[in-house]
Amino acid sequence: MLKEIDMVVPKSVDEALHILSEKKDKAQPLAGGTNIVLELQNGSDKELLVELGMLKELTGIKREGDMIILGGATKLADVLKDELVARFGVPLHEAAAKFATPMIRNLATAGGNLVDASPAADTAPPLLALGAVMELRSIKQTRFVPINEFFVGVNKTLRQPDELLISIRWQIPSKKSAGGFEKIGLRKGMVCSIISTSIQVEIDDLQKVSCSRIGLGAVAPRPIRSYQAEDYLIGKILTEAVIMEAGRLASESSRPIDDIRGSADYRRKMSDVLVRRLLKRIASNLAG
Amino acid sequence: MEQKLINLIVNKRKHQVAFYPNITLLQALRKLGYMDVKNGCEQGDCGACGVILNGKAVNSCMVLIWQADGSEIITNAGLGNMEKPHPIQEAFADAGAAQCGYCTPGMIISAKALLDEKPHPTEDEIREAISGNLCRCTGYGHIIKAVQDAAEKIAAGGAI
Amino acid sequence: MKYKAKEIPKVDLPELKIVGKPLRRVDALGKSVGATVYAGDYYVPNMLYAKVFRSDQPSARIIKLDVSRAKSLPGVECVLTAQDLQGATLVTDFPGQTGREKRAGSDAPVLASEVVRFRGEPLALIAAETLAIAEAAMKLIEVEYESLPGVYDPLEAMKPGAPVVFEPDNIVARWKIRKGDAKKGMEAADIIVENTFRVPFIDHAYLEPEAGVAWIDDQDVINIRVATQVVEHFRNIARAVGVPQNKLHIIGTLIGGGFGGKEDVTVEIFLALLVKATRKAVRLVYTRDESILAHSKRHPFIMKHKTGVKNNGLITAAEIEMISDSGAYPYLSPYVLLYATVASTGPYKIDNLRVDSTSVATNNIFASAFRGFGAAQACVAYEQQMDEIAKKLEMDPLEFRKINYIKTGDKNATGQVIKSAVWLEETASRVLEAMGEKTADSGSLKIGRGFASYMQSYGRITMFHDTSRAWVGLELDGTVVVRCGVPDLGAGQINSLCTIAGEVLGVSLNDTTIYYTDSALTPLAGTSTATRQLYMSGNAVFQASSAIRQVLLERAQKIFEEEISNLDLGGGKVFVKSNPSQGMPISDLAKLCASEGLPLNNLAEFKAPFTEPPDPETGQGDIYPDFTFGAHAVEVAVDTETGEVTILKSAGCHDVGRAINPIAVEGQIQGGSAQGLGYGLMEDVIIKEGVIKTRNFSEYLIPTSRDVPTTIPIILESGTGVGPFGAKGIGEPSLTPAAPALANAVADAVGARVYQLPLTPERVLDAVRRGKIK
Repeated sequence: MLKEIDMVVPKSVDEALHILSEKKDKAQPLAGGTNIVLELQNGSDKELLVELGMLKELTGIKREGDMIILGGATKLADVLKDELVARFGVPLHEAAAKFATPMIRNLATAGGNLVDASPAADTAPPLLALGAVMELRSIKQTRFVPINEFFVGVNKTLRQPDELLISIRWQIPSKKSAGGFEKIGLRKGMVCSIISTSIQVEIDDLQKVSCSRIGLGAVAPRPIRSYQAEDYLIGKILTEAVIMEAGRLASESSRPIDDIRGSADYRRKMSDVLVRRLLKRIASNLAG
Repeated sequence: MEQKLINLIVNKRKHQVAFYPNITLLQALRKLGYMDVKNGCEQGDCGACGVILNGKAVNSCMVLIWQADGSEIITNAGLGNMEKPHPIQEAFADAGAAQCGYCTPGMIISAKALLDEKPHPTEDEIREAISGNLCRCTGYGHIIKAVQDAAEKIAAGGAI
Repeated sequence: MKYKAKEIPKVDLPELKIVGKPLRRVDALGKSVGATVYAGDYYVPNMLYAKVFRSDQPSARIIKLDVSRAKSLPGVECVLTAQDLQGATLVTDFPGQTGREKRAGSDAPVLASEVVRFRGEPLALIAAETLAIAEAAMKLIEVEYESLPGVYDPLEAMKPGAPVVFEPDNIVARWKIRKGDAKKGMEAADIIVENTFRVPFIDHAYLEPEAGVAWIDDQDVINIRVATQVVEHFRNIARAVGVPQNKLHIIGTLIGGGFGGKEDVTVEIFLALLVKATRKAVRLVYTRDESILAHSKRHPFIMKHKTGVKNNGLITAAEIEMISDSGAYPYLSPYVLLYATVASTGPYKIDNLRVDSTSVATNNIFASAFRGFGAAQACVAYEQQMDEIAKKLEMDPLEFRKINYIKTGDKNATGQVIKSAVWLEETASRVLEAMGEKTADSGSLKIGRGFASYMQSYGRITMFHDTSRAWVGLELDGTVVVRCGVPDLGAGQINSLCTIAGEVLGVSLNDTTIYYTDSALTPLAGTSTATRQLYMSGNAVFQASSAIRQVLLERAQKIFEEEISNLDLGGGKVFVKSNPSQGMPISDLAKLCASEGLPLNNLAEFKAPFTEPPDPETGQGDIYPDFTFGAHAVEVAVDTETGEVTILKSAGCHDVGRAINPIAVEGQIQGGSAQGLGYGLMEDVIIKEGVIKTRNFSEYLIPTSRDVPTTIPIILESGTGVGPFGAKGIGEPSLTPAAPALANAVADAVGARVYQLPLTPERVLDAVRRGKIK
């Protein structure tokens, strides 16, 4: 049986925020529930579930100017089907395709995956690669936090107990850019990542990298960016040698641990391999 | 913790029953007598509890019953019965896709969701669609064949 | 190397009416429409909900166990501890095997009282009005432990001074084989190859967790409706609970997967105790976490092979050492060890042989039966050893095996003459041929192929006086009833019996019905284990049906004035073979017989042959009724940068004697091999200091639809089995060769071997590294 807990179904985001401001860290916002239900089995200290799944304002994907705005309670299945994400958020599209299983995708939400902040959360590296910004709102204010500041530790984010993750937004990449997502698991279906990576690269008219973002999952207490590798890539053409060095640098930026799924050494080595592979694929997309 | 009166339509039958917030849809459905919805793990890892919730296939063990208030649910037993089985159920029976049968209800739900969206799936699409349904008995071979056979049957007009 | 299927000798199998036809199984539609009521689906009004309170220590003395607060929680009906049970134990150790005395007190207590020997050992039982109350009561039980030194590795457990799980030592069982002169044989060899192979604890991972509902009725009979592979446990349970054996009734359900995990007593004993104490109906269903924590596992084995071979490929001698981790209680460990010992050489002619095997107690989870029962573990070793030898000799792996394969008339490792067809080359060549054109290497992907041959017994050890009973009856409307205590695990056990009865009586499968798995109401048919049911109960049903057939044909003889040899039953009729339009519906014949007092039903008992136990010094003796032979092959792509293995192709070929239902046999080949491929690729109950780390299905991984291709099933029928219509058994054999085939394929791809299962990406990556060095 799940822990005994109360539940409230607010009719608006505003109502939800009022409840959170009152109940603070005793409140548990609930969208898909695929993480929360497990926590309720294993000893959550929350006292009130705040159901968000019905709130229209929190679901859906739209374009506003040059931004794509993804509602925090949007189901992963809808993320996967979405045209805007397929065109302008390829890293996230690829991650959604590999996310859990079709049935879980019909429940799990992007926001839920992000605020749960598992080091292996599969929506994190792609949104890091897209340079996304999180919209956090309380009854006091709305603030925008860049995703690379959002994760602070294992299952810990900058979200305050009285805030909701309203949306995640990113700027539409330039035409001369490409991205993707890769993961390794101990089996091919329905699997937690041992390590994942997601990259978005933009090049200029001379084929030189003008911007790159490399996200890594499951190699540190939180999803991270490989700034060393990214800095290295600026101004370079994606040759085999450059890609190799970028992979090596990415692997150096990882801080993995041993656990039952894999050793730290393996994860470190695989950061290199996956980043190289993904950069190679991206280079080929940019050329072709 | 207070109970709330929850409205459900399950396999076209209306229910209005009080439930606590900490009850999952799986627990609620089985309490209401829908024993074809199976508990294989209650952690979202096996798919045996699969049902169609408002048109989408989901793990019912991951849904809280209050979240499903006002919903329409179809379980495997709602698709057909021994006298008039659904083409997918019949295909499963004929292809040897049910050995111990415990994964079968959830598996058929995933198959139904797939065929509703893609009436002529490739083998790869079938494998992806059922990737969240564990089977320990069949090695998935006859299950994939059953879905292919069902697709043909339904396309030929045998269907609901 | 291109392989071509070896021609099989012409076999004259009679054309049968429903045997051998791809018919829909009798249980298939019910399962497909969700109508089947599994053990956890049964509802008795006002039934209580049970929970088992378990130790969270692997090795400890119980200082205090206080259930008073739990007992006084409103809604709790009953809490039982060992104090309430008068020393009830379940027989889990069998006296006299291997010639050793039973280790004092090594039967598992139903509820522990003084010490706990594994993490998850039951300490108390709770029955309450709701599951929520039972769970709340669990939290109110107060327990204090004094941690005791524990031992978690069988090699450590064998050392003097190791903590002892049961006096006098941690040796649960030993077997040995001494044949010819191994020392001389080694001296005669040109090369000697030595390798050690390791396999881990494996979980059965059936989709249906352990479950049952029990109640006490108006005759004071305790009824237990439960998913079990053995209804005969009613005797053991009755004794443990303290009721007469005729007052304990097991109603077995169609099981949602067994694989050996529901072969020992699981929830039944707890249900019986709670029902007896409360006199109310009780339901107990394990959570998945609890199932992984607390039920038996496949034995880990360390298997050392030393083989002497001549340069021409002839094996001159083998020395094999096997050590299994029995866990905290023996259960079936001595028998698993025996199977492993007998199978240790594989299907090869080895005249100079020395095998020593030991099963060792530790404070790990107890290990017991799991599909393959020791012979599967043995195959992981012997088939990899064969490939390693072939590599050293620079011989093709199949050519090397052909030189050493046993043949019909040869003796196996224990000197038992193999009487059936031995289609080793026939099956191996077919699975290799089925691999087709080799996929090309590309990028970092290296392709490899591997296969494994095997022999696996079917039917129980013949020193057990095994029997099975079945009753068959013909109704007056021409329909057929079978009553048989057979438990159906999902592999088609009940369907096979209906098919056999229908075949003999000339009635369609739709017109046969079976009543099954009831310890009181159906004739006892023995365990659904050891790949024995088709052989044993199939033969019993065949006998019973044949007796009725005889009555019918003798009566029809008088009607049609024809010899019995010119009469037949088929299509629901009795008819003259040479003039089929001359006949009558079987229902009419049945009514006629009934009116004359002729018997239209028969209760038959089939007895397996009996043999004395093998010689304790040499291991020589006939041990099994017969063996199944076959092979499995896979093609893999190894990602040499990540170590990930993708199985591209898979094929299994087995001589099943006679396929009663070919779809069911295909299903066994595909399903068994998928379980074997999981064993090879990803399954591992990770346990550290007695604590299981893989507690759910996201940590204990079994293959999904994305992980295993459909195995190409190739059924061969020699007709030489001792089952009905010449059938053998396929349930366990289908799993046995898959993991070693996979290991051989990966070694082929990367040029170096991983010597333990599973073949995780990390381990494979290390083999890639070693392969490059060579």
